[in-house]
Amino acid sequence: MPKKILFVEDDEGFYNIFSVPLKMKGYDVIHVSDGSLAVEKVITEKPDLILLDIVLPGTSGLDILKELREREETKEVKVVMLTNFGSDDNISKAMEYGSNDYLMKYNIVPSELPAKIAGLLGEAQESVVRVTES
Amino acid sequence: MQDYILNILVIFESILLLVISLILFSKTRDLTKLKKYEEAFIEEQAKKHSEQNEFFPMVIHELRSPLSVISGAADLLIKTTDELSAEQIHTLLHQIKSSSSGLLKVVGDILDISKMEGGKFQISETYGDIRDVLREECGYFEPLAKVKNVALSCPVSGKIPSFSFDSDRVKQVLNNLIANSIKFCPEKGKVVVNARKDARSVIVEVADDGVGIPDKDKPMIFHKFFQASNQAGVGEKGTGLGLAICKGIIEAHGGKIWMEDNKPSGVKFIFSLPIK
Repeated sequence: MPKKILFVEDDEGFYNIFSVPLKMKGYDVIHVSDGSLAVEKVITEKPDLILLDIVLPGTSGLDILKELREREETKEVKVVMLTNFGSDDNISKAMEYGSNDYLMKYNIVPSELPAKIAGLLGEAQESVVRVTES
Repeated sequence: MQDYILNILVIFESILLLVISLILFSKTRDLTKLKKYEEAFIEEQAKKHSEQNEFFPMVIHELRSPLSVISGAADLLIKTTDELSAEQIHTLLHQIKSSSSGLLKVVGDILDISKMEGGKFQISETYGDIRDVLREECGYFEPLAKVKNVALSCPVSGKIPSFSFDSDRVKQVLNNLIANSIKFCPEKGKVVVNARKDARSVIVEVADDGVGIPDKDKPMIFHKFFQASNQAGVGEKGTGLGLAICKGIIEAHGGKIWMEDNKPSGVKFIFSLPIK
């Protein structure tokens, strides 16, 4: 079974450039653009990892993260903040709420994102590639 | 005689003191004026500084986002060409095009606002029929309205004479107003674009039945960088320059732009263009 990634992102451009390499590496990528629907989607889809933007319509990424950590059924899911807003305040709040990583969109090369995700999911890159091949 | 001289001296001294007091009083008034000028200058500088503080992070964000997307898409196309499907290549190329257009729009907005502020903004008026401009803009937004399940109509009624206006700039105003109306309209909402003639001008309205604008935000809606508190989602995106530019364009025509509540819900943006 390919690992499932929920990508909470309202900017179609960023969704396209980051989801393409993840899909190429065999991940099952699900997309939500409205922040207010994110928690519900996590509960129904049970993703292995969430890529979470901060500035979103409906509910902010930080509020989503806080709610995920407060709910019994979602508190363990891995969450990576993927944003363009790198203020100290945002980073410290994300860490306080239990984010597993904090990536800046303009610092990470899309083709390198799958390796980063594989590391967080405790996979070697090769094993992810094998999923694609199988 | 001595008393007389003494009296003259006392009177002279009093007059002298009075003159000195008057001079001092006038100087003090000058100083108070000067102080007021200084305070106004400091306040103006603080305002400029605060606008710059708002302006630069916003501009950097608005430029950096599409640039990051363009750079990321190009990187994928270069590094993984052989692994990408035809559909993925198409998506990435389309993304580069749309992000580049977004980038050009932001740069255009910044140029427009800086020309407006420097008093160098100019329009180029030609004789034409504004109903054609309205129909063209509505046609442009029809696909987007369909996707968002919003009914967009352009029932331009009545006789409107041809007159001189800058059709590209008026299109820019309509583009901004219609895009905003569609964006903030609920599903199955309505956007109506209309025009009519009054005594000396043509009045154009873009009305929607969306969320409207909170009373507290109304006085600020045409100010640069301002975004209504109920319309930007969580956090704020966009330059907040759109309506300020619309105002600049309409005023450059000698017209006016304003907003009204569209009862029972939503908002109407209205502008007038003098017939000349």
